[in-house]
Amino acid sequence: MRTRTCRNLVPALFAIFVTCLARQGYGQNAEGLTGKNVDPFREASGKVVVLVFLRTDCPISNRYAPTIQELSARYSRQAAFWLVYPDKKISAAVIRKYLQDYGYKLPALRDPQRVLVAQGRVQVTPEVAVFDIRGRLVYHGRIDNWYEDFGRSRSAPTTHDLNDAIRATLSGKPPAAAVTDAVGCYISDLQ
Amino acid sequence: MTSVRAIAACLPTLALVAAAAGPMVVLAQSGSGSFSSGQQVTFNRDVAPIVFRNCAACHHRGGGGPFSLLTYQDVKEHGRQIAVLTRTRVMPPWLPEPGDLRFADELRLSDQEIATIQEWVQQGGVEGEPCDLPARPEFAEGWELGKPDLVLTARKAFVLPASGSDQYWNFILPVAISQTRWLKSIEIRPGQKRLIHHANVLVDRTQASRAREKTPGSGFAGMEIRLESETFDPDSHFLFWKPGTIPYVEPDGMALRLDKGTDLILNMHMQPSGKSEVILPSVGLYFADHPAAMFPMLLQIENDAALDIPPGEKNFVVTDSLTLPVDVDLLAIYPHAHYLGKDLLALATLPDGASQTLIHIKQWDLNWQAVYRYAKPVFLPKGTVISMKYSYDNSEGNRANPNHPPQRVIAGNRARDEMAHLWLQVLPRHDPNAGTDPRMLLQEALARHSIEKNPADFEAHYNLAAMLQARGEREEAVKEYESALRMRPHDGVVNNALGGALLAAGRVDEAIIHLGAAVKDRPNYFDAHYNLGNALASKGDFNAAAVQFRAATRLNPDDADAEANLGSALAQIGHLSEAKSHYRRALELNPGHALAHENLEELEHLQVSR
Repeated sequence: MRTRTCRNLVPALFAIFVTCLARQGYGQNAEGLTGKNVDPFREASGKVVVLVFLRTDCPISNRYAPTIQELSARYSRQAAFWLVYPDKKISAAVIRKYLQDYGYKLPALRDPQRVLVAQGRVQVTPEVAVFDIRGRLVYHGRIDNWYEDFGRSRSAPTTHDLNDAIRATLSGKPPAAAVTDAVGCYISDLQ
Repeated sequence: MTSVRAIAACLPTLALVAAAAGPMVVLAQSGSGSFSSGQQVTFNRDVAPIVFRNCAACHHRGGGGPFSLLTYQDVKEHGRQIAVLTRTRVMPPWLPEPGDLRFADELRLSDQEIATIQEWVQQGGVEGEPCDLPARPEFAEGWELGKPDLVLTARKAFVLPASGSDQYWNFILPVAISQTRWLKSIEIRPGQKRLIHHANVLVDRTQASRAREKTPGSGFAGMEIRLESETFDPDSHFLFWKPGTIPYVEPDGMALRLDKGTDLILNMHMQPSGKSEVILPSVGLYFADHPAAMFPMLLQIENDAALDIPPGEKNFVVTDSLTLPVDVDLLAIYPHAHYLGKDLLALATLPDGASQTLIHIKQWDLNWQAVYRYAKPVFLPKGTVISMKYSYDNSEGNRANPNHPPQRVIAGNRARDEMAHLWLQVLPRHDPNAGTDPRMLLQEALARHSIEKNPADFEAHYNLAAMLQARGEREEAVKEYESALRMRPHDGVVNNALGGALLAAGRVDEAIIHLGAAVKDRPNYFDAHYNLGNALASKGDFNAAAVQFRAATRLNPDDADAEANLGSALAQIGHLSEAKSHYRRALELNPGHALAHENLEELEHLQVSR
């Protein structure tokens, strides 16, 4: 009898844990720059959601600012872009200053609990996660192949992975690749 | 049964660990590790000394690196990244392979240091005991060498766009000095260190670059600039900046001459950062107390003419070599190619047949190009052959390839063109038995070598002529100048030089024709007016000579010789009081001017006796 109780308990706990993850997965713990919880999926209502993961001290992230801004403008009607900062030490004020410096006109989120990081399955900055209008992850990885290695960038990218993924998703098709390797600063290095 | 299974379960685990910690295994075998497998690696004891010594020079607030690496927290927050970048030797950036010759300030981690970093990250990045932490390096806030003797700041800032390709910009910095000074060090402050890959300073002794500016002080675009000097000026130094460099102070006895009217051209390679940036560089000059006593030279071997790289070619090889006509000490080396360069090798083959690698870069990266100074001068005897062998990758596989798809690439100054250059800074050894300055023999050898490669090399003919003339080979010099002139018939500089050579050879009528052409081509060319004045005076046409000398003094009011010669020409045509005032002006400029002194005395005597 005792053995059987034990066996029952373990799956039950596991189930609760899964539920927790799922709840977090809806972005309820990501914060807007005013400190309020923001759910980028709820806000997006019917749009494709693009989460762009950035660090303020990552030079590769920084160099992508014009590209990200340009892509978000190109798809402003169909896709909701969010900048996501997984570094818990970086305050909203620092992010605001950063947005201003780099000319971003996009909403930004802090993700200190790495909820969106887990949901987007991203590992580095800059890396992007694309969700279809039902909130299903359809692409995560690099923006393009400007960097395929640290330290050796191309003069200009020759692939446009994020653009292609958004276009495919908007036309109801799966992206050519669901996952690509992004090069940048490891999120796991952060506290 | 149980034990067999246990072993089976264990083995793959061990194999995995060994694979993940590749360099560790090498380390353990070499037996020189600072830790043995399983020992804890800490930041304070093991990692901080490596990072402080090799990374912090750039990675500090205000440094060239994108973030600081001065504290445990800093390093931990980039731990995995540091592990990958050091393992792949992307960081610290150091292109040359290790060899017999050592460079000063080598920025190369040992295998053991790299293994220590890998192990630390794998172990989770433990901080360790506070007592183990070495003193944190400190960096000067202002000028690294203290207050400069003279600071030159660009007149107009350059605005670097947020995105796009790399930018190459030149700032002209006029050197505000009233007399010749000797530069022993220059500190280049490029403005925004994080955006600057490297910066070069060129010495423009003729203000020729100013013509390239749209408006005075605006600066001008261009990756490579070439300054043609009108005079033989073999005193050459590398003035170079890359992130993390400490300003180089010339050794005792060496210094770079800076004359009044010299411009420094600051050539910078910048990379857009994602936001628009304002770049306002400045340089600090530090002067020596004494003029230079030793005069190093820059030698260039190159083979741009051989660069014609078909699209898709993975291994296009270009070579060149030069036989040294004199003994030299090699001080520094600067290999240079653009984005297709792959493997850059420079060798010295000594007269006894022994071969010495001077530098070998297996993964050329334009972004991290540098001047490499040898830890000790490298003696290369007369007869040594210096050779370069560069290979280029013009395939799609070369990520740095600026053309997509790849295109035919030839030599040129733009980023999408290529180059095959090897610069060497050498100090020629003086042979007391040789009558000729060894620098001139080197220059002559370079010119002859260039003409062999390219008979239509204007500059080489011009330089060879200048060397021949200096050696007293007047007729030979005239021939070489004439070769140069055939390539640029109206060029004021060549016409002037040929005129000067003809004048020296006593061929005055021909000299007057070419000097006249020089003045016509370049009405503001002091030397041409001065030489034409002399030629006319030697024909006895003092009226016309006075016109030329007067033009010369207007162009350079501080030249005592021109004033004295104007005085003489005026005296010859009877304008005695005006002549005297020019002799006096010559003596003001140079109180020891013997000719002016004697002639003035004679004139005064003449007038008194009248």
